[in-house]
Amino acid sequence: MAEARLVVEHLTKRFGDGETAVTAVNDVSLSVSPGEIVLIMGPSGSGKTTLLLMLGALLRSTQGTIRFDQQVLSDLRENRLPDIRLRQVGFVFQDFNLLSALTAVENVALVARLAGAGNAQAHDHAAGILKELGLGDRLDFLPEKLSGGEKQRVSIARALVNDPALILADEPTANLDSKNGHELMRRLQEIAREKGISVVIVSHDQRIRDIADRVLWLEDGNFKELAGMAVDPVCQMSVEKEAAVTGQLNGTTYYFCSRGCEAEFLSGPQDFLGLLTRADRAVKPQEAGLGGVNNDF
Amino acid sequence: MLLLAYRNLFQSKSKLLLSTGGLALALLLVLALDAILTGTETQIAAYINHAGADVWVSQSGVRNMHMSSSTLPAATADRVRSVSGVGEVTPILFLTSFVQAGNDRHIVYLIGLPPDAAMGRPWKLAAGAALPHPGQVVIDSSVAKTTNTSLGDSVRILDKSYRVTGLAEGTANIVNSIAFISMADFQKLRGSASAVSYLLVRDANGRSPEQVAAAIGSALPDATVQTSSAFAASERRVVSDMVIDIANIMNVTGLMIGLAVMALSIYTVTLSRRAEYGLLKAVGATNRELYSVVLAQSFIALVLGLGLSVLLVLAMSIAVPVVRPSLAMELTAGSVIKVSLMALVIATVASVLPVRQIANLDPASVFRRKL
Repeated sequence: MAEARLVVEHLTKRFGDGETAVTAVNDVSLSVSPGEIVLIMGPSGSGKTTLLLMLGALLRSTQGTIRFDQQVLSDLRENRLPDIRLRQVGFVFQDFNLLSALTAVENVALVARLAGAGNAQAHDHAAGILKELGLGDRLDFLPEKLSGGEKQRVSIARALVNDPALILADEPTANLDSKNGHELMRRLQEIAREKGISVVIVSHDQRIRDIADRVLWLEDGNFKELAGMAVDPVCQMSVEKEAAVTGQLNGTTYYFCSRGCEAEFLSGPQDFLGLLTRADRAVKPQEAGLGGVNNDF
Repeated sequence: MLLLAYRNLFQSKSKLLLSTGGLALALLLVLALDAILTGTETQIAAYINHAGADVWVSQSGVRNMHMSSSTLPAATADRVRSVSGVGEVTPILFLTSFVQAGNDRHIVYLIGLPPDAAMGRPWKLAAGAALPHPGQVVIDSSVAKTTNTSLGDSVRILDKSYRVTGLAEGTANIVNSIAFISMADFQKLRGSASAVSYLLVRDANGRSPEQVAAAIGSALPDATVQTSSAFAASERRVVSDMVIDIANIMNVTGLMIGLAVMALSIYTVTLSRRAEYGLLKAVGATNRELYSVVLAQSFIALVLGLGLSVLLVLAMSIAVPVVRPSLAMELTAGSVIKVSLMALVIATVASVLPVRQIANLDPASVFRRKL
């Protein structure tokens, strides 16, 4: 694998002081290579978004360093950070966050304009990316006239327009249906591979695990072993095996987030085993440890 | 960023209408008042400007007509005529009185004219004759219309009856109008033929009014001698001095209303797009770039509001005199410049709060729902 582009070492973020201090991210280390896609999963409140904010130069860490293309972000002055975000990082959001008054192409071109491109150049470049993403006939549509999938494509185009080295995606499929979400992530994967862009995705969505080169589990501010995790076959939530509700079927152990899911599964397992199989297909063999347990990671 | 400002502003038509309409009405208040004052000043000085004189001679210390009284010995006219280069001299008598037609009373500048008056006579007629003979009066056509008076009807001035033989145009203003009677009648009313009020002088040698005034002034050190333009300016100043406090109050009121409307609308436009500004900050826009959006929004609203207010005042200046001939509105470049500067102050001050809001906006707020 190529030399890591993003290197995070012993990163910690604490909010507040003294007894009321909350450690959102605790001594996290991570490296991401060019073209690599890292998916960070974990329960709500686990520190995923805080980590993403720090990687995106939107939040200062309390301790540790973030090196990005040999630049130490934590050493940079505050007024240098907007330029880093503008030229080297692309953001993709759960809620798309498009500017409602601008058309699709204008939303994308605006970010190119901020980076210094001329009007015509920015427009042409933005239109080109949107066409690549299949939105050639939607260039002049306002966001309100676009579907969720189309909005997220515009959001991805906006993230790509300044040729960033890193894309940070926050729950990019949360507001999309399964098919749209998966297709879009596939497209992002292709673009990342083609252009050598490092991608860090924070998501609860098990269905996009197959596009990731690595899946990391963040809980209580730390990365944890995936071997200890499993997927609830009913609600698709990730669960810790030790804390999960377990159920047996035909000699196989399944893990559930709750008794409700267990009961639902046992009342009609054939309805859920298909889903589980699709989810399993996404798991990398080296991470999954598939032997014998059907809903392992 | 200008495109974003423009789109932000125009996306919500109702907000745009509120901000530009509110600003336009506030500026209209100031512009309309200025236009009325300027129109009134012009009307007040209309008689002086249209009298045809180069120079006005009045009693020493008397520099205008409105709320003034001037008395010169009748022989002063001959002294002026004897000054080298003086062409014509027309003496007039003047006092402020009322014209009564039926039960209607109208305040007038009453002018007494000699039978052969070359200057100081009505300059535009709607009907009848310009010069009144004894027993006759020329009144303003708008007064005649208001009082339903026609040529041949009688009106009363200082308890004497006069037959209307001429209807003048352009001799009415918001304060009063001008009525012309013969000098003989005027002298009878006053009970003396030994004095005149003003002398209207025209040069014969093509000299400038200033040169003529200087020459007459040297010969008549006991009188006030002014060029027609200086006399008119003095007359206008009387009006502006009388209403300056009201004008200032209205200007400040307009400024405050405009400021409130603009500030509120720009603030709400910015507030409603807080998340979008947060996004722009997150993707790398600097505060300066975002300020430019807010300022551009303010200035676009300002230009629209100002343009709308100017158009409204222009329309009013055409429509108002038709409805009420004694009321004139005159929009001047100076007034537009003054109001533009006021609007500039309004737009700048109105942007302060939204700009501060943006300055304090955390770019991470775009993710805040999860923090």
